[in-house]
Amino acid sequence: MGCCYSSESETTEQERDERKPLIPHPNPDSKPPNGTERNPANISSTRTDEQALLSIINKTAQNIIDVSAADSQGMEQHEYMDKARQYSTKLAVLSGTLSQKKPPPLPSLTSQPHQVLASELVPYSDIQQVCKVAAYAYSAISQIKVDAKEELVVQFAIP
Amino acid sequence: MEATLEQHLDDTMKNPAIVGVLCTDAQGHNLGCRGSLSDEHGGVVSVLAKQAASLTKDPTDTPTVCLESDSGNVLVRTHGTITVAVHKIVT
Repeated sequence: MGCCYSSESETTEQERDERKPLIPHPNPDSKPPNGTERNPANISSTRTDEQALLSIINKTAQNIIDVSAADSQGMEQHEYMDKARQYSTKLAVLSGTLSQKKPPPLPSLTSQPHQVLASELVPYSDIQQVCKVAAYAYSAISQIKVDAKEELVVQFAIP
Repeated sequence: MEATLEQHLDDTMKNPAIVGVLCTDAQGHNLGCRGSLSDEHGGVVSVLAKQAASLTKDPTDTPTVCLESDSGNVLVRTHGTITVAVHKIVT
């Protein structure tokens, strides 16, 4: 077990080690417990051993994920199919509403691009015009200021 | 408060070739619109201008985006913190 260059004799010794119980039997000669033939000291030692064993079992159980138990707690086949159908219908409804939320296209797309491409260039006067419109709009927006007609912060009379 | 901007948009729409105008901020919030361009176009207009500006190497150079179609052009131009779109039909 994880040992390099191990020889035959070592392996057998290892095997013996592996088969050796972790907790040696407290009283190998003792008979199975029937309560009558035991003295109190024996009982107490057996109890501590049982407790040690139980703690080991508990620790091991905490580290084990029982996959078979999880499977048995899972859904039945028809229940699974029902859920799948339910979710797919919900998704279909949602995707229908999502597709409606597409950004609206800008107006007037052409169906004849060759005509547009063959047409004359955009007049420079148009570009100048839009530049002017933008500049005027910017100056108009920069003039926007809050025209407070009454006090924005009012102090309540605190008695 | 925003009467100057509203007046400016109305004046712009007096041009018979212009069928829509929109003014938006850098986040796509609509500041005012008229005609064929409505407040739902604010996001697209601001993003178009931003993407076009990212193509130019000179940060002081502001491009004008022109969407050409057979029924008219939509010109998008940024000035400072705002972006303006003008929908102009071919005369």
